[in-house]
Amino acid sequence: MKQIDEGEIIGRVLGGDREAFAALVDAYKGPVFRLAFRMTGSTQDAEDLTQETFIRGFQSLGRFRAGERFFPWLYTISLNVIRNHLRKAKAQAEDSGGKGVLEAADPRSDPTEAAIGREQGRRMQGYLLRLPVPVREAVILRFYEGMSFEDITSVTGDTLSSAKMKVYRGLEKMRTMMEADGFSAPE
Amino acid sequence: MMKETDIERIVEHLGGRGEDLPETAGDSRSEATRWKELDRIAGMMRDEPVIGTPAGLEELVMARVRAQRTSWWRAVAKVLLQPRTVSFDPLRALRSPISGQECSFYFIMVGVFYAVLSIVLMIGFGELGTTIAAPGWVRWQPQIALITAGCMVAIGLYLLKDGKTALRMARIGALVYLGFAFLNGIIVSLKWDIPVSAYVSLLSAIIGLPTGLFLIRTIQNCGKRYA
Repeated sequence: MKQIDEGEIIGRVLGGDREAFAALVDAYKGPVFRLAFRMTGSTQDAEDLTQETFIRGFQSLGRFRAGERFFPWLYTISLNVIRNHLRKAKAQAEDSGGKGVLEAADPRSDPTEAAIGREQGRRMQGYLLRLPVPVREAVILRFYEGMSFEDITSVTGDTLSSAKMKVYRGLEKMRTMMEADGFSAPE
Repeated sequence: MMKETDIERIVEHLGGRGEDLPETAGDSRSEATRWKELDRIAGMMRDEPVIGTPAGLEELVMARVRAQRTSWWRAVAKVLLQPRTVSFDPLRALRSPISGQECSFYFIMVGVFYAVLSIVLMIGFGELGTTIAAPGWVRWQPQIALITAGCMVAIGLYLLKDGKTALRMARIGALVYLGFAFLNGIIVSLKWDIPVSAYVSLLSAIIGLPTGLFLIRTIQNCGKRYA
Protein backbone atom coordinates (compact mmCIF):
# COMPACT_ATOMS: atom_id res chain seq x y z
CA MET A 1 0.00 0.00 0.00
CA LYS A 2 1.40 3.38 -0.97
CA GLN A 3 2.11 5.92 1.72
CA ILE A 4 -0.18 8.88 1.17
CA ASP A 5 -1.15 11.91 3.20
CA GLU A 6 -4.78 10.96 3.74
CA GLY A 7 -5.64 14.09 5.70
CA GLU A 8 -4.43 16.36 2.93
CA ILE A 9 -6.22 14.35 0.22
CA ILE A 10 -9.49 14.33 2.17
CA GLY A 11 -9.17 18.09 2.66
CA ARG A 12 -8.75 18.56 -1.09
CA VAL A 13 -11.75 16.34 -1.90
CA LEU A 14 -13.91 18.21 0.60
CA GLY A 15 -12.70 21.44 -0.94
CA GLY A 16 -14.18 20.37 -4.29
CA ASP A 17 -11.25 18.58 -5.95
CA ARG A 18 -12.97 15.28 -6.82
CA GLU A 19 -9.99 14.01 -8.78
CA ALA A 20 -7.95 13.86 -5.56
CA PHE A 21 -10.20 10.99 -4.47
CA ALA A 22 -8.42 8.80 -7.05
CA ALA A 23 -5.39 8.60 -4.73
CA LEU A 24 -7.55 7.07 -1.98
CA VAL A 25 -9.15 4.64 -4.44
CA ASP A 26 -5.73 3.62 -5.70
CA ALA A 27 -4.39 3.07 -2.19
CA TYR A 28 -7.33 1.08 -0.82
CA LYS A 29 -8.99 -0.64 -3.77
CA GLY A 30 -6.96 -3.83 -3.15
CA PRO A 31 -7.94 -4.46 0.48
CA VAL A 32 -11.55 -3.44 -0.11
CA PHE A 33 -11.86 -5.70 -3.16
CA ARG A 34 -10.24 -8.63 -1.35
CA LEU A 35 -12.55 -8.27 1.63
CA ALA A 36 -15.62 -8.20 -0.64
CA PHE A 37 -14.31 -11.13 -2.64
CA ARG A 38 -13.64 -13.28 0.43
CA MET A 39 -17.04 -12.41 1.87
CA THR A 40 -19.04 -13.16 -1.28
CA GLY A 41 -16.85 -15.59 -3.23
CA SER A 42 -17.65 -13.81 -6.47
CA THR A 43 -15.37 -11.50 -8.46
CA GLN A 44 -18.31 -9.73 -10.08
CA ASP A 45 -20.04 -9.07 -6.76
CA ALA A 46 -16.74 -7.99 -5.21
CA GLU A 47 -16.16 -5.50 -8.02
CA ASP A 48 -19.65 -4.02 -7.63
CA LEU A 49 -19.33 -3.88 -3.85
CA THR A 50 -15.91 -2.22 -4.08
CA GLN A 51 -17.37 0.49 -6.31
CA GLU A 52 -20.31 0.94 -3.95
CA THR A 53 -17.96 1.19 -0.94
CA PHE A 54 -15.96 4.00 -2.51
CA ILE A 55 -19.06 5.87 -3.64
CA ARG A 56 -20.50 5.66 -0.10
CA GLY A 57 -17.12 6.76 1.26
CA PHE A 58 -17.07 9.72 -1.11
CA GLN A 59 -20.60 10.74 -0.12
CA SER A 60 -19.85 10.40 3.61
CA LEU A 61 -16.42 12.03 3.55
CA GLY A 62 -17.87 15.16 5.17
CA ARG A 63 -18.58 13.10 8.29
CA PHE A 64 -15.00 11.77 8.50
CA ARG A 65 -13.43 13.22 11.63
CA ALA A 66 -9.98 14.75 11.39
CA GLY A 67 -7.40 12.66 13.23
CA GLU A 68 -9.36 9.45 12.69
CA ARG A 69 -7.67 6.66 10.70
CA PHE A 70 -9.11 6.46 7.22
CA PHE A 71 -8.58 2.77 6.58
CA PRO A 72 -10.73 1.34 9.44
CA TRP A 73 -13.37 3.97 8.61
CA LEU A 74 -13.49 2.79 4.99
CA TYR A 75 -13.47 -0.86 6.07
CA THR A 76 -16.50 -0.24 8.28
CA ILE A 77 -18.35 1.24 5.29
CA SER A 78 -17.25 -1.72 3.22
CA LEU A 79 -18.53 -4.23 5.78
CA ASN A 80 -21.90 -2.46 5.94
CA VAL A 81 -22.20 -2.52 2.15
CA ILE A 82 -21.28 -6.22 2.06
CA ARG A 83 -23.67 -7.11 4.90
CA ASN A 84 -26.53 -5.35 3.09
CA HIS A 85 -25.67 -7.17 -0.10
CA LEU A 86 -25.56 -10.55 1.63
CA ARG A 87 -28.81 -9.85 3.43
CA LYS A 88 -30.56 -8.84 0.21
CA ALA A 89 -29.21 -11.65 -1.87
CA LYS A 90 -29.75 -14.19 0.91
CA ALA A 91 -26.96 -16.02 -0.78
CA GLN A 92 -26.57 -19.53 0.47
CA ALA A 93 -22.88 -20.15 0.97
CA GLU A 94 -23.21 -23.67 -0.38
CA ASP A 95 -24.74 -22.43 -3.65
CA SER A 96 -21.92 -20.07 -4.49
CA GLY A 97 -19.18 -21.99 -2.69
CA GLY A 98 -15.80 -21.25 -4.16
CA LYS A 99 -16.85 -20.12 -7.63
CA GLY A 100 -15.05 -16.81 -7.22
CA VAL A 101 -11.70 -18.37 -6.54
CA LEU A 102 -11.72 -19.91 -9.97
CA GLU A 103 -12.48 -16.52 -11.50
CA ALA A 104 -9.73 -14.70 -9.66
CA ALA A 105 -6.24 -14.53 -11.12
CA ASP A 106 -3.68 -16.63 -9.26
CA PRO A 107 -0.37 -14.81 -8.97
CA ARG A 108 1.78 -17.99 -8.70
CA SER A 109 4.04 -18.42 -11.74
CA ASP A 110 4.44 -22.24 -11.68
CA PRO A 111 1.27 -23.72 -13.31
CA THR A 112 1.32 -26.92 -11.20
CA GLU A 113 1.81 -25.02 -7.99
CA ALA A 114 -0.87 -22.55 -9.06
CA ALA A 115 -3.30 -25.39 -9.83
CA ILE A 116 -2.74 -27.02 -6.41
CA GLY A 117 -2.95 -23.65 -4.75
CA ARG A 118 -6.18 -22.83 -6.60
CA GLU A 119 -7.78 -26.11 -5.53
CA GLN A 120 -6.77 -25.50 -1.92
CA GLY A 121 -7.93 -21.89 -2.14
CA ARG A 122 -11.23 -22.98 -3.69
CA ARG A 123 -11.87 -25.41 -0.85
CA MET A 124 -10.90 -22.88 1.81
CA GLN A 125 -13.18 -20.30 0.22
CA GLY A 126 -16.00 -22.85 0.25
CA TYR A 127 -15.57 -23.47 3.97
CA LEU A 128 -15.31 -19.77 4.61
CA LEU A 129 -18.60 -19.09 2.86
CA ARG A 130 -20.34 -21.63 5.07
CA LEU A 131 -19.45 -19.66 8.19
CA PRO A 132 -21.99 -17.21 9.65
CA VAL A 133 -21.38 -13.67 8.32
CA PRO A 134 -20.04 -12.08 11.56
CA VAL A 135 -17.68 -15.02 12.14
CA ARG A 136 -16.56 -14.95 8.49
CA GLU A 137 -15.76 -11.24 8.79
CA ALA A 138 -13.56 -11.78 11.81
CA VAL A 139 -11.70 -14.72 10.24
CA ILE A 140 -11.06 -12.85 6.97
CA LEU A 141 -9.87 -9.68 8.69
CA ARG A 142 -7.57 -11.64 10.97
CA PHE A 143 -5.98 -14.16 8.59
CA TYR A 144 -6.47 -12.97 5.04
CA GLU A 145 -5.93 -9.29 5.83
CA GLY A 146 -3.54 -9.84 8.73
CA MET A 147 -5.23 -7.26 10.95
CA SER A 148 -4.59 -7.02 14.67
CA PHE A 149 -7.50 -7.81 16.99
CA GLU A 150 -7.56 -4.15 18.07
CA ASP A 151 -8.06 -3.06 14.45
CA ILE A 152 -10.74 -5.71 13.96
CA THR A 153 -12.70 -4.34 16.91
CA SER A 154 -12.54 -0.81 15.51
CA VAL A 155 -13.94 -2.03 12.19
CA THR A 156 -16.62 -4.46 13.40
CA GLY A 157 -17.55 -2.75 16.65
CA ASP A 158 -16.99 -5.96 18.60
CA THR A 159 -15.22 -6.15 21.93
CA LEU A 160 -11.71 -7.62 21.95
CA SER A 161 -12.95 -10.76 23.64
CA SER A 162 -15.83 -11.19 21.22
CA ALA A 163 -13.57 -10.74 18.17
CA LYS A 164 -11.18 -13.40 19.46
CA MET A 165 -13.99 -15.83 20.20
CA LYS A 166 -15.46 -15.31 16.73
CA VAL A 167 -12.11 -16.13 15.17
CA TYR A 168 -11.79 -19.21 17.36
CA ARG A 169 -15.31 -20.43 16.53
CA GLY A 170 -14.68 -19.81 12.84
CA LEU A 171 -11.50 -21.87 12.84
CA GLU A 172 -13.13 -24.61 14.84
CA LYS A 173 -16.05 -24.80 12.41
CA MET A 174 -13.69 -24.89 9.46
CA ARG A 175 -11.72 -27.68 11.10
CA THR A 176 -14.89 -29.71 11.63
CA MET A 177 -15.97 -29.16 8.01
CA MET A 178 -12.54 -30.12 6.71
CA GLU A 179 -12.50 -33.23 8.86
CA ALA A 180 -15.91 -34.26 7.55
CA ASP A 181 -14.67 -33.78 3.96
CA GLY A 182 -11.43 -35.63 4.64
CA PHE A 183 -9.46 -32.57 3.63
CA SER A 184 -6.49 -31.98 5.90
CA ALA A 185 -4.37 -28.90 6.19
CA PRO A 186 -0.82 -29.45 4.87
CA GLU A 187 1.95 -29.78 7.50
CA MET B 1 -13.01 -27.72 28.97
CA MET B 2 -10.74 -24.72 28.46
CA LYS B 3 -11.43 -21.37 30.00
CA GLU B 4 -12.48 -18.56 27.64
CA THR B 5 -9.53 -16.44 28.73
CA ASP B 6 -7.11 -19.23 27.78
CA ILE B 7 -8.77 -19.63 24.39
CA GLU B 8 -8.49 -15.86 23.79
CA ARG B 9 -4.81 -15.95 24.73
CA ILE B 10 -4.00 -18.84 22.37
CA VAL B 11 -6.07 -17.45 19.47
CA GLU B 12 -3.71 -14.47 19.33
CA HIS B 13 -0.88 -16.81 18.36
CA LEU B 14 -2.67 -18.80 15.67
CA GLY B 15 -1.34 -18.56 12.14
CA GLY B 16 1.78 -16.91 13.44
CA ARG B 17 4.18 -18.44 10.87
CA GLY B 18 5.90 -21.15 12.89
CA GLU B 19 5.45 -19.38 16.21
CA ASP B 20 5.04 -21.87 19.08
CA LEU B 21 1.62 -21.96 20.69
CA PRO B 22 1.43 -21.17 24.43
CA GLU B 23 1.80 -24.03 26.92
CA THR B 24 -1.89 -24.00 27.82
CA ALA B 25 -2.68 -25.30 24.36
CA GLY B 26 -0.99 -28.58 25.11
CA ASP B 27 -2.68 -29.61 28.35
CA SER B 28 -3.68 -32.90 26.80
CA ARG B 29 -2.47 -34.66 23.66
CA SER B 30 -5.80 -34.34 21.84
CA GLU B 31 -6.07 -30.67 22.79
CA ALA B 32 -2.57 -29.99 21.53
CA THR B 33 -3.35 -31.73 18.22
CA ARG B 34 -6.56 -29.76 17.84
CA TRP B 35 -4.81 -26.44 18.41
CA LYS B 36 -2.05 -27.37 15.97
CA GLU B 37 -4.72 -28.16 13.39
CA LEU B 38 -6.37 -24.76 13.97
CA ASP B 39 -2.94 -23.14 13.67
CA ARG B 40 -2.37 -24.86 10.32
CA ILE B 41 -5.79 -23.77 8.99
CA ALA B 42 -5.04 -20.21 10.05
CA GLY B 43 -1.63 -20.48 8.38
CA MET B 44 -3.22 -21.69 5.13
CA MET B 45 -5.38 -18.62 5.00
CA ARG B 46 -2.50 -16.34 5.92
CA ASP B 47 -0.33 -17.86 3.18
CA GLU B 48 -2.95 -17.51 0.45
CA PRO B 49 -1.54 -15.37 -2.37
CA VAL B 50 -2.87 -11.82 -2.52
CA ILE B 51 -5.60 -11.52 -5.12
CA GLY B 52 -5.19 -8.72 -7.62
CA THR B 53 -7.96 -6.25 -8.39
CA PRO B 54 -9.69 -6.33 -11.79
CA ALA B 55 -8.23 -3.99 -14.39
CA GLY B 56 -10.00 -0.66 -14.72
CA LEU B 57 -11.64 -0.77 -11.28
CA GLU B 58 -10.21 2.61 -10.30
CA GLU B 59 -11.49 4.21 -13.52
CA LEU B 60 -14.97 2.78 -12.92
CA VAL B 61 -15.04 4.19 -9.39
CA MET B 62 -13.78 7.60 -10.52
CA ALA B 63 -16.32 7.75 -13.36
CA ARG B 64 -19.07 7.26 -10.79
CA VAL B 65 -17.49 9.81 -8.44
CA ARG B 66 -17.40 12.38 -11.27
CA ALA B 67 -21.04 11.66 -12.08
CA GLN B 68 -22.13 12.26 -8.48
CA ARG B 69 -24.38 15.27 -8.23
CA THR B 70 -24.65 17.24 -5.05
CA SER B 71 -28.28 17.74 -4.10
CA TRP B 72 -29.25 21.27 -2.98
CA TRP B 73 -29.97 20.16 0.58
CA ARG B 74 -26.56 18.51 0.85
CA ALA B 75 -24.92 21.71 -0.44
CA VAL B 76 -26.81 23.83 2.10
CA ALA B 77 -26.00 21.35 4.89
CA LYS B 78 -22.35 21.44 3.89
CA VAL B 79 -22.23 25.24 3.98
CA LEU B 80 -24.00 25.39 7.32
CA LEU B 81 -22.37 22.45 9.06
CA GLN B 82 -18.77 22.64 7.94
CA PRO B 83 -16.45 23.53 10.83
CA ARG B 84 -15.30 27.13 10.87
CA THR B 85 -12.63 28.88 12.84
CA VAL B 86 -14.67 32.01 13.48
CA SER B 87 -15.42 33.61 16.82
CA PHE B 88 -18.65 35.47 17.40
CA ASP B 89 -18.58 38.54 19.57
CA PRO B 90 -21.50 40.95 18.98
CA LEU B 91 -19.93 43.74 21.06
CA ARG B 92 -16.67 43.56 19.12
CA ALA B 93 -18.68 43.48 15.89
CA LEU B 94 -19.97 46.98 16.76
CA ARG B 95 -16.47 48.36 17.18
CA SER B 96 -13.97 46.66 14.90
CA PRO B 97 -13.80 45.03 11.44
CA ILE B 98 -15.35 41.57 11.20
CA SER B 99 -15.31 38.82 8.60
CA GLY B 100 -18.08 38.07 6.12
CA GLN B 101 -18.68 34.77 7.88
CA GLU B 102 -19.32 36.47 11.20
CA CYS B 103 -21.61 39.00 9.54
CA SER B 104 -23.41 36.10 7.84
CA PHE B 105 -23.89 34.42 11.21
CA TYR B 106 -25.73 37.47 12.62
CA PHE B 107 -28.08 37.62 9.64
CA ILE B 108 -28.83 33.90 9.88
CA MET B 109 -29.49 34.21 13.62
CA VAL B 110 -31.95 37.07 13.01
CA GLY B 111 -33.58 34.85 10.38
CA VAL B 112 -33.89 31.99 12.86
CA PHE B 113 -35.42 34.36 15.40
CA TYR B 114 -38.07 35.56 12.92
CA ALA B 115 -38.84 31.97 11.90
CA VAL B 116 -39.57 31.14 15.53
CA LEU B 117 -41.56 34.37 15.93
CA SER B 118 -43.69 33.54 12.89
CA ILE B 119 -44.56 30.14 14.36
CA VAL B 120 -45.50 31.74 17.69
CA LEU B 121 -47.64 34.36 15.90
CA MET B 122 -49.34 31.73 13.73
CA ILE B 123 -50.35 29.76 16.80
CA GLY B 124 -51.36 32.94 18.65
CA PHE B 125 -53.47 34.33 15.80
CA GLY B 126 -55.05 30.92 15.31
CA GLU B 127 -56.31 31.04 18.89
CA LEU B 128 -57.23 34.74 18.66
CA GLY B 129 -59.16 34.35 15.40
CA THR B 130 -62.11 32.74 17.12
CA THR B 131 -62.60 35.58 19.60
CA ILE B 132 -61.26 38.78 18.01
CA ALA B 133 -61.40 39.63 14.32
CA ALA B 134 -58.03 41.26 13.59
CA PRO B 135 -57.73 43.63 10.62
CA GLY B 136 -56.03 42.46 7.41
CA TRP B 137 -52.56 43.92 7.98
CA VAL B 138 -52.35 42.51 11.48
CA ARG B 139 -53.44 39.06 10.31
CA TRP B 140 -50.52 39.09 7.87
CA GLN B 141 -47.95 39.45 10.68
CA PRO B 142 -46.98 35.73 10.86
CA GLN B 143 -46.40 35.63 7.10
CA ILE B 144 -44.43 38.88 7.27
CA ALA B 145 -42.23 37.39 9.99
CA LEU B 146 -41.73 34.25 7.89
CA ILE B 147 -40.74 36.23 4.78
CA THR B 148 -38.35 38.32 6.91
CA ALA B 149 -36.81 35.08 8.21
CA GLY B 150 -36.35 33.75 4.67
CA CYS B 151 -34.77 37.00 3.45
CA MET B 152 -32.39 37.20 6.41
CA VAL B 153 -31.21 33.60 5.98
CA ALA B 154 -30.79 34.13 2.22
CA ILE B 155 -28.69 37.27 2.81
CA GLY B 156 -26.70 35.39 5.46
CA LEU B 157 -25.92 32.54 3.08
CA TYR B 158 -24.99 35.01 0.33
CA LEU B 159 -22.65 36.79 2.76
CA LEU B 160 -20.71 33.54 3.17
CA LYS B 161 -19.24 34.34 -0.24
CA ASP B 162 -17.69 37.32 1.52
CA GLY B 163 -17.65 39.61 -1.50
CA LYS B 164 -18.42 43.27 -2.13
CA THR B 165 -21.64 42.48 -4.01
CA ALA B 166 -22.89 40.33 -1.14
CA LEU B 167 -22.10 43.18 1.25
CA ARG B 168 -24.00 45.68 -0.91
CA MET B 169 -27.00 43.35 -1.01
CA ALA B 170 -26.84 42.89 2.75
CA ARG B 171 -26.71 46.68 3.30
CA ILE B 172 -29.83 47.17 1.14
CA GLY B 173 -31.54 44.29 2.92
CA ALA B 174 -30.74 45.68 6.37
CA LEU B 175 -31.99 49.18 5.43
CA VAL B 176 -35.24 47.79 3.99
CA TYR B 177 -35.64 45.69 7.13
CA LEU B 178 -35.06 48.67 9.41
CA GLY B 179 -37.52 50.87 7.53
CA PHE B 180 -40.11 48.12 7.30
CA ALA B 181 -39.86 47.22 10.99
CA PHE B 182 -40.47 50.89 11.88
CA LEU B 183 -43.43 51.30 9.50
CA ASN B 184 -44.91 47.97 10.51
CA GLY B 185 -44.98 49.08 14.13
CA ILE B 186 -46.84 52.30 13.19
CA ILE B 187 -49.31 50.62 10.79
CA VAL B 188 -50.26 47.93 13.30
CA SER B 189 -51.05 50.47 16.01
CA LEU B 190 -53.09 52.60 13.54
CA LYS B 191 -55.02 49.68 12.05
CA TRP B 192 -55.92 47.91 15.24
CA ASP B 193 -57.52 50.07 17.80
CA ILE B 194 -57.37 47.79 20.81
CA PRO B 195 -54.85 47.81 23.67
CA VAL B 196 -53.12 44.65 22.43
CA SER B 197 -52.08 46.50 19.25
CA ALA B 198 -49.87 48.74 21.35
CA TYR B 199 -47.98 45.68 22.54
CA VAL B 200 -47.64 44.34 18.98
CA SER B 201 -46.25 47.64 17.68
CA LEU B 202 -43.99 48.00 20.73
CA LEU B 203 -42.68 44.49 20.19
CA SER B 204 -42.05 45.25 16.52
CA ALA B 205 -40.13 48.41 17.39
CA ILE B 206 -38.16 46.80 20.23
CA ILE B 207 -37.08 43.91 18.05
CA GLY B 208 -36.78 45.59 14.71
CA LEU B 209 -35.03 48.90 15.35
CA PRO B 210 -32.02 47.79 17.43
CA THR B 211 -31.63 44.64 15.34
CA GLY B 212 -31.66 46.66 12.13
CA LEU B 213 -29.17 49.17 13.51
CA PHE B 214 -26.92 46.34 14.74
CA LEU B 215 -26.96 44.63 11.33
CA ILE B 216 -26.15 47.90 9.54
CA ARG B 217 -23.25 48.49 11.92
CA THR B 218 -21.84 45.00 11.40
CA ILE B 219 -22.06 45.46 7.62
CA GLN B 220 -20.16 48.74 7.95
CA ASN B 221 -17.47 47.01 10.00
CA CYS B 222 -17.36 44.12 7.59
CA GLY B 223 -16.93 46.59 4.70
CA LYS B 224 -13.95 48.22 6.44
CA ARG B 225 -11.83 45.28 5.36
CA TYR B 226 -12.30 46.30 1.75
CA ALA B 227 -11.53 49.97 2.34
